[in-house]
Amino acid sequence: MNIDLIFRIAAVGILISILNAILKQTGREELAMLTTLTGLVLVLVMVAREIVNLFNLIKTMFQF
Amino acid sequence: MLLKIIGSILVIGGSCVIGFTLSSAYSKRPVQLKILQSLIQMLGNEIRFMSSIITDAFERIGRSIDNPVASFFTNALEYLNNEESINIAQAWERAIYENMGKTALNKEDAEILISFGKMLGNSDIQGQLKNIEYTLQQLNLQQLKAEEAMKKYETMYKTLGILGGALAVILLI
Repeated sequence: MNIDLIFRIAAVGILISILNAILKQTGREELAMLTTLTGLVLVLVMVAREIVNLFNLIKTMFQF
Repeated sequence: MLLKIIGSILVIGGSCVIGFTLSSAYSKRPVQLKILQSLIQMLGNEIRFMSSIITDAFERIGRSIDNPVASFFTNALEYLNNEESINIAQAWERAIYENMGKTALNKEDAEILISFGKMLGNSDIQGQLKNIEYTLQQLNLQQLKAEEAMKKYETMYKTLGILGGALAVILLI
C-alpha cells in the first residue's frame, strides 16, 4: 500500500475543514455542508480501490 | 517532477485569479454606487440651478468622470441623438441594459435606475427633484448593503480561490 494515499487524504481533510470554517463564518451553512459532503465523497473515491483490494484479500483468504 | 511543480503552480495561480476577480466585483460595487449617487446629484444640480435641457446635462455628466457608470449617461445620450422616435426613458433603459455587464452593479440597482429613468421628463422641476432625491435615498441604501456584502464575501472568495486551487493540485498529483 502506498503511503502517499494517507498524506493525500490528510491534506484533503485539512483543506475541507478550513473551507468549512470559512464558509460557516460567512453564513453559508448549506454550502459548508456541501463542501463537507464533497470532501467525504472525494476521499471515498480515493480509498475505493483499497477497499476492493481488502475484500478480494478476504475472499481469497477464506476461499469463497 | 519539475513539470509537476510548474503545473501545480499554474493551477493554484489560475484559481487565485478567479477568486480575486470574483472578490473585486464585491469591492467595486460600493464605489460605483457612490459615483452613481454623485452623478445623479449632479443631474439634480443641473435641473435645479441651471435649468439645462437633458441632453446638455447628460453630456456634461458623462464627460465629468471616467468610470463605467458614466457610460449610462453617454450611451443614453447617444441613443437620444441617433435614433428617432425614442424617448428619454427608453434610451436610459437601453443604456442601462447594455452597460450593466461593464459595471459591478446588480439587478436591484438596475431596477432602481430604470424606475428613475421612467420618471425623467415626466413632471415639473419639483417633481424631478423629488424623484432624484428618492433615487438617491434608495441608492444610498443599496450602497450600505453593498458595503456589508463586501465585508462578508471579499475575503471569502479570495480564500476560496486559493484553497480550491490547493485542493485541485492535491487531487491531481
